[in-house]
Amino acid sequence: MRNRKIIVSIIICILLTLSISGCWNRRELNTFSILMGMGIDKAEEVGKVQLTAQIINVSELKQGGSSNKEAYLAVRSTGDTVFDALRNFTKESNRKIYLPHNKVLILGEDIATEGVQKYIDFFVRDHEMRLRESVLVAKGKAEEILNVKSELEKIPAAGISSLLKSQNATSEATDVDMKDFISRLMSKTTAPIAPLIEISGEEEKKVLRISGMAIFKQDKWVGELEGSKARGILWVIDKIESGIIVVDCPNEEGKMSLEIIRASSKITPELKGDKVSIKVEIKEEGHIGDQECPCELKSHDISSIEKMKTTVIRAEVISALEKARELNTDIFGFGDSVHQKYPKQWKDIESSWDEVFPEIEVEIVVDAKVRRSGILIMPASS
Amino acid sequence: MFNFLSKKLRSWQQQNQNINKENKENDNSKKTKENSQAKLSSNLKENLDSIKAILGVCEDLIIREFAFGNKGQISAAIIFIDGMVDRTLINDNIIKPLMYDNRFICEEESLEIKNIDIIKGTILYVGEIEKSTTINDLVESCLSGDTILLIEKAKEALVISSRGWETRGVVDPETETIVRGPREGFTENLRTNTTLLRRKIKSPDFMLEAMKIGRKTNTAISIAYLKGVANPEVIEEAKRRLKRIDTDGILESGYIEGFIEDAPLSIFSTIGNSEKPDTVAGKILEGRVAVLVDGTPFVLTFPMVFIEGFQSAEDYYSRPYYASLVRVIRFIAFAISILAPSSYVAATTFHQELIPTPLLFTVAASSEGTPFPAVVEVLAMGVIFEILREAGIRLPRPVGQAISIVGALVIGESAVSAGLIGGIVVIVIALTAVASFVVPAQTDSGAILRVILVILAGSMGGVGIMVGLIGILIHLASLRSFGTPYLSPLAPLSPFDLKDVFFRVPIWAMLTRPKSIVRQNIQRQKFILKPTPPPEKKDKGGSK
Repeated sequence: MRNRKIIVSIIICILLTLSISGCWNRRELNTFSILMGMGIDKAEEVGKVQLTAQIINVSELKQGGSSNKEAYLAVRSTGDTVFDALRNFTKESNRKIYLPHNKVLILGEDIATEGVQKYIDFFVRDHEMRLRESVLVAKGKAEEILNVKSELEKIPAAGISSLLKSQNATSEATDVDMKDFISRLMSKTTAPIAPLIEISGEEEKKVLRISGMAIFKQDKWVGELEGSKARGILWVIDKIESGIIVVDCPNEEGKMSLEIIRASSKITPELKGDKVSIKVEIKEEGHIGDQECPCELKSHDISSIEKMKTTVIRAEVISALEKARELNTDIFGFGDSVHQKYPKQWKDIESSWDEVFPEIEVEIVVDAKVRRSGILIMPASS
Repeated sequence: MFNFLSKKLRSWQQQNQNINKENKENDNSKKTKENSQAKLSSNLKENLDSIKAILGVCEDLIIREFAFGNKGQISAAIIFIDGMVDRTLINDNIIKPLMYDNRFICEEESLEIKNIDIIKGTILYVGEIEKSTTINDLVESCLSGDTILLIEKAKEALVISSRGWETRGVVDPETETIVRGPREGFTENLRTNTTLLRRKIKSPDFMLEAMKIGRKTNTAISIAYLKGVANPEVIEEAKRRLKRIDTDGILESGYIEGFIEDAPLSIFSTIGNSEKPDTVAGKILEGRVAVLVDGTPFVLTFPMVFIEGFQSAEDYYSRPYYASLVRVIRFIAFAISILAPSSYVAATTFHQELIPTPLLFTVAASSEGTPFPAVVEVLAMGVIFEILREAGIRLPRPVGQAISIVGALVIGESAVSAGLIGGIVVIVIALTAVASFVVPAQTDSGAILRVILVILAGSMGGVGIMVGLIGILIHLASLRSFGTPYLSPLAPLSPFDLKDVFFRVPIWAMLTRPKSIVRQNIQRQKFILKPTPPPEKKDKGGSK
């Protein structure tokens, strides 16, 4: 009797586990096609969405391209909503599109300026998504971006993905995945950023180029930062991986490039009465990458290089800050840091953050160090 | 459904009880027969007739009648089974002293030697002689290879130990090959086997208890243990279970295992076996009990715990670092052998998002155009592998090579190139197959678990694998082997015994016997045995 109860309860437990699994549905690998890149644009028909999907042609990928066919298929579909358009793919494609391995989600210029919220909702809500795809904003139509062939990669979307990864060599743009993007969008104050992608070059020699970072206000694209100004954002939000800072040689003519090896930053808010002030501490360490002037560097030279480097970093941060103030959008997450430190007072500030943000006093403390001079102590010719 | 099952079970139980009763009745009748058995009479011819009546006209029964004494006045007979005895021993040590040496004695003495005790005590040059009075005993010992000496007018007979038959020599065990360590293996001969053990453990505490099982086969078995170390309760329980066995024949230790194991319905074996005397000696020294069965080189040892399968004798002979690495690899290989096919099925049919993108391309490309779902592919390949394995074992050795070539080439290569199955599946199955032989003790249970997990993975994905693994774990935790929890020392955890689970500590640090098996005499060696440099001599010049 007791035994039977135990057996019954075990079986009930096993059956219950069936109901808690999210994806009971089995499907074989050859029943769907793997999506590598997705572009969202406005359709020509008013009020409709156009999706451009880049899906893998697995059998072409298999034998290292024995035939001249492409390793991917570009398909296009329109619908009233994103999900609707996605399902409409099945009208032309015999396999359902499998989203979780998507690498890039490119937002067309028109929808980015209109507001992306209603277009990306599906990509966050769907239970299959991994939120790992990179979010990019296209200058122009997303479809055109996806149609530019990559020189080195078989699949354009994979090319875009690795192009983004390589941006950390300069740190003038950073890869923003869906999780980052959406968590910034969810915050009441922090504004999303995303790398900007554009086509450069003429007809046959079209190449893709990451031109900077797009700045959003809530879900609308309002402005952009390029080059070292974009790096100004990354200094503050601690996304600097590597990069080159060019300074003048101390004492002599010529320039030096300093490689960034390590960088970290810390945002400390302070609330005095109603006044918010922010202290941004940036710590940077680097090496001397090359040196044009043929002189031996003394230790006081090194400290003057460090000072110059500090100035450059500070200038980059200030230029980004000015842009943010101008657009009145909190791309640095200052609001969230205040919220974390002063949760009680935050309620009063929150509603008026738009007025508070441009007036915030920001103190920038940069601590830049030169650690090594490569494996040369002095230039070869000196 | 449960009602039905329990009813069925109950009716089985009743039937079993009935059978038991019948058996008991049979036993009783047998016993009464034995009791009514006539003792030896003083007439030699009568005795011979009654023995002939029992053994019939067996062609290998040899009855040699002869007479001895100075005038050949005492008639006698020796009876033995041809082929089971040492002929030279019978000729030189039994017949020769009686017939040849006795010719020169005087008449008075000649009268005296009618006395069976004097023959036993002064004439025969044989190590082991016993007296016996009932015909049944005589027949039984004759059948196990003893020689029987019957003498006119004696109501007793001598049972002379003269066993000697063709046996295989002590050779390398084929199932457990090693690089470093003793190369001898048990043989089919019980006496040789006990000798091999006795030669390892030369201690008066090493006990060997004999027993005979099998109504027809009368198989000799021997219970070996270390007195004062092995748990007396385990020994008692083992004897109780062995005595319970009432069957017609024991041909291999597997029969015994089947009769005495704790979980007869489990796919996991709760009794270990080994073909190597050093392994068995090691287990006996750890406080286990061994059962040697005549006619098989496989010796049973118990209590057995799950992790025993992951320990090899060689672990203790090689240095601890490599031994520990190999230990860990065995655990990994076991995990691969039961989980690799099911994980492949689960990942490719349910959790494609878990596969890294470049790998997904490879997998997808290889499964592109294959006609079967992944679960069918994996199951079919698993079955084919088991077929190949079985064929490889059963086939005569010269043919075996052909099979492996055909198996590997035809099934592996051609099936992939013909597009029947994906290349990745072949890799997964091959890896599984190789990994499954790393832990020989769990190879057969692993094969079953693998199939169960693949089916679960094919129907429920990762959840199915988890359900399966939890089920296996619950089952393993519920098993006992002669009172020792099967998962010990991991569950229940005895931290000190972890010295020999995932890693093997140096020999000098293995201070205790496993606590879950031994209750007395736990410490096996002195506390400080770590090799150290010799103490520095204080006065350098002084010698003594």
